[in-house]
Amino acid sequence: MKNTKFNALFEAIDSFLRTPATVTTQGSHIRDAVDMKRIMITVMIALCPALLFGLWNVGYQHFIRLGYDTTVFGCLWYGFLKWLPLVIVTYVSGLAIEVLFAQLRKEEVAEGFFVTGFIIPMIMPPDVPLWIVAVATAFSVLFAKEVFGGTGYNFLNPALVARAFVFFAYPSVISGDSVWVSHAPQDAITGATPLAMVMNGNVEAMPSMLDMFIGTIPGCIGETCKIAILLGALILLVTQVADLRIMLSVLIGGYVTAVAFRVGGLCAVPGYQQLLMGGFLFGAVFMATDPVTAAHTQTGKYVYGLLIGILAIIIRVLNKGYPEGMMLAILLMNIFAPLIDYCVVQANIKKRKKRVLNTK
Amino acid sequence: MNYKISKGLDIVLKGKAIDTDLNFVLSDSFYVKPDDFRWLKPKLLVNEGDMLEVGTPLFADKQDERIVIVSPIKGQVVRIVRGEKRAIQAVTLRRADETAVTRQIDFPEPKDGRTIRQLMLQYGLWPCLRQRPYATIPCPDAIPKSVFISCFDSSPLAPEYSILLRGKEVFFQHGISVLQMASEQAPIHLCMKQGADNKIFESIDNVAKHYFSGPHPAGNVGTQIHRIAPIDKGDVVWYLTPQEVARIGRFFMAHVLGFEQRAALTGPAVAHTGYFNTVYGADLSALFANRLSVETVRCISGNVLTGIQLADIPTLRFHDHQVTVVEEGGQREFIGWLLPGFKKWSFSHTYTSWLMKNKTYEHNTSLHGGRRTFMMTDVYDKVFPFDIIPLALLKACYVKDIEQMEELGIYEVDDEDFALCEVVCPSKMECQKIVRDALIELRMDN
Repeated sequence: MKNTKFNALFEAIDSFLRTPATVTTQGSHIRDAVDMKRIMITVMIALCPALLFGLWNVGYQHFIRLGYDTTVFGCLWYGFLKWLPLVIVTYVSGLAIEVLFAQLRKEEVAEGFFVTGFIIPMIMPPDVPLWIVAVATAFSVLFAKEVFGGTGYNFLNPALVARAFVFFAYPSVISGDSVWVSHAPQDAITGATPLAMVMNGNVEAMPSMLDMFIGTIPGCIGETCKIAILLGALILLVTQVADLRIMLSVLIGGYVTAVAFRVGGLCAVPGYQQLLMGGFLFGAVFMATDPVTAAHTQTGKYVYGLLIGILAIIIRVLNKGYPEGMMLAILLMNIFAPLIDYCVVQANIKKRKKRVLNTK
Repeated sequence: MNYKISKGLDIVLKGKAIDTDLNFVLSDSFYVKPDDFRWLKPKLLVNEGDMLEVGTPLFADKQDERIVIVSPIKGQVVRIVRGEKRAIQAVTLRRADETAVTRQIDFPEPKDGRTIRQLMLQYGLWPCLRQRPYATIPCPDAIPKSVFISCFDSSPLAPEYSILLRGKEVFFQHGISVLQMASEQAPIHLCMKQGADNKIFESIDNVAKHYFSGPHPAGNVGTQIHRIAPIDKGDVVWYLTPQEVARIGRFFMAHVLGFEQRAALTGPAVAHTGYFNTVYGADLSALFANRLSVETVRCISGNVLTGIQLADIPTLRFHDHQVTVVEEGGQREFIGWLLPGFKKWSFSHTYTSWLMKNKTYEHNTSLHGGRRTFMMTDVYDKVFPFDIIPLALLKACYVKDIEQMEELGIYEVDDEDFALCEVVCPSKMECQKIVRDALIELRMDN
């Protein structure tokens, strides 16, 4: 199969099974053992706690709404059966396009989609029709990534583009009170997320802070358990895969803005609670830190993170149409990240020009 | 002045040279390679069969024919080795006898810088000098802004200069005063390692002394120039290694011309490390016999970051003082990207090896992955101690945007300054090549 039209696929599977036999030919003779495969698998490991809890929670939310008693394993199994088709559909539709483009470009298949395809099911409602997931994934891989040159050249986070696609093209499957609980009975207790409750002024019905922190609330698979997300954040920070600058500045930006709205009387919930609701923390840890679409300069990362936090809360509080602001805030800042970098680079250039003037 | 370098990386390798002499016996074969001198375009001045003295010009630089590369020995031209498009790869020489590596030359004591530069050009000592930007042999007419001498090498397994200079202390001292005249009294900067054995360097007067601490590339002259007196467009800075200073010093003090090099045999694949004396161009094949511990090895002139592989003609490069031998890689590992990797060396913390207390890592020449686009955007900053944005400069170099490169500080860097970026890059970018190609473009443009 090597050197045929399936070369890209062959190479991908071959290097997946065994590390490549290539040796250095120029430049430094020894190299770091890390490669993009290792980085991506680290991100996937960091996502696992949130995924495991999320799978259980899908089952748990379903069964308590139906009034059934169930076991931990029963909930997990229900969630797993919901998640498995989603993840298969995502990988098949996304990887098919990736392999095709890699073959056309005569390049190796980049690993970026392993994480994207892992995240997409974690930020979709559990009952989303599979064909919509397939279309959304294909759209994001094609139009957010491949048309710009593939992994590394994209300026928008592909997983978020997939979600935004569903959000704008098929709003009924991803908004409203009933979508966040799998097969929620229409007459049962509402499955509204805390964000929707705040938007509708229904603050009294909100779950306790502890529930929101542990994650036993309706929501996407990945976003509900804050403990699991923080565990993932810890893995990403210890392994130095994600940048602390971005995570911290998103949280600070979000918190300060939320407190400001609370003081200004525009929002009824306290600042720290905004950080626990919806996908804010998941976005801050796993989405905003995507090294390709975030700002590339060190100073730029602070600005980028702060603005994501600020924008997410502004959208949440001021836009009555969208209860969740994190997705749009990150996508918007993805677009502005090159501008932030441009400003930082120009500042560095200016400093150098000033030095020339001073020495001459 | 003290300077602390905080960004950088000391790669821990086994096989640092111990302070013993390896008693390396020179063979009679010598090879002088134009590629040892960056971007030199050789114009051959000898023919096969010609008799040579130490200091007889072998080839001149077509760009400036005053710059000549001379014979390091007394003997005969055996063969001119040519490669593609008849490019000269090496001039093969045979030594006349064992004493034919130095030559006594009589000349009146030089009174000014011009005469010194003339003598250095005539006897092939001028190529000991290199200049920043471009890391090439400097133009004999341009007077430098300053002269930098890095008095320590921080690269992996680098030899100690105190051992390399043993017995040459007075020549080094004299060399400094010669350089002061040759550079028309440009400031000379000696950059030493804080807390190291600096006896030879501290006794020198009329120079600026600086002390550096921190990981590699603290010893790189590029890092030191950037901290002390950064280069801007139009500036020229000379730099040379202490051994080369001593070589120049000996010529002007004792009137002895010679191209001896003392170097260290190092590396994880070497069973018996140590120091050895050689002469520029000498065939090193015999050096490796019975001294290596692994069978498939890569022998490198220089260090593992910036050295070149010794292939058919194993000689030490003109400016090098180290030979490193590492195991050749390429062993395939089943799902290696998923395993804990207890013995894998990584600057990142993605393998469990960073938790291990016993720091013996497997180092070989494996690339450990496939080439990708720039993705991990913050990894270069951690090992690049310049006030330059490495990723932005690399991208400008990649697309050969000369204006942008100049604005981002290309004149301050050489490809060796990006060696660590290249090592730690998970996308396996050839950072040094990107910078080197950009420098070629820039030089042609200027």
